[in-house]
Amino acid sequence: MIFESHLLSMVVYAFLTALVLAFIRRRERKARLRYGLFVFLIMVGGALLFGWFMYLFTL
Amino acid sequence: MKTKAVVAPLLGWLVPGLGHFVQKKYLRGIIFFVSISAMTAMGLAMGGKIYPFYIEKPETILQVFTNLFKKENPLTLLAFFADLGNLLVYLASRVLHFGQGALERMTFEFGTAYIAGAGLLNYLVALDAHDIAVGKKK
Repeated sequence: MIFESHLLSMVVYAFLTALVLAFIRRRERKARLRYGLFVFLIMVGGALLFGWFMYLFTL
Repeated sequence: MKTKAVVAPLLGWLVPGLGHFVQKKYLRGIIFFVSISAMTAMGLAMGGKIYPFYIEKPETILQVFTNLFKKENPLTLLAFFADLGNLLVYLASRVLHFGQGALERMTFEFGTAYIAGAGLLNYLVALDAHDIAVGKKK
């Protein structure tokens, strides 16, 4: 069974998604790197923040 | 409209990156193929499900619409459209009966999300191939 860690699954998912989106949305190498990093950080950071936000509503 | 503008996105829909490859955008073609195929393969390895288009045979006109919300969760209809983005994998899964989903595995939800995400990304990749073919993008 691969990826039993949800965090690792999320990071790999964010990496591959950011890679594809960067190659679709930007044409220059530097711009791709910046955009890809931005998307990756937004996805991972956003998920972590939302995870902590949901922690407020635990029973 | 140029033939390429129709063929490239269709090829890209069938196999990720193929629409770019036929337009000599080799690097992008390879990146898209590897990334999207890897996502799909990992999703399947995690026990994710590829959702089929399932509706009961309607007996009245009203049932055409009400059947959409029967049996299966209506959200699975959205999952079907996402999974259809990876056309070749979707068709193969219907013929070879893989991607049935292993609900008992803890990775089922993530696997399903990987497969759906790969399909949605492939729609964008196919549209990008179309934009290149019509000259909107380089």
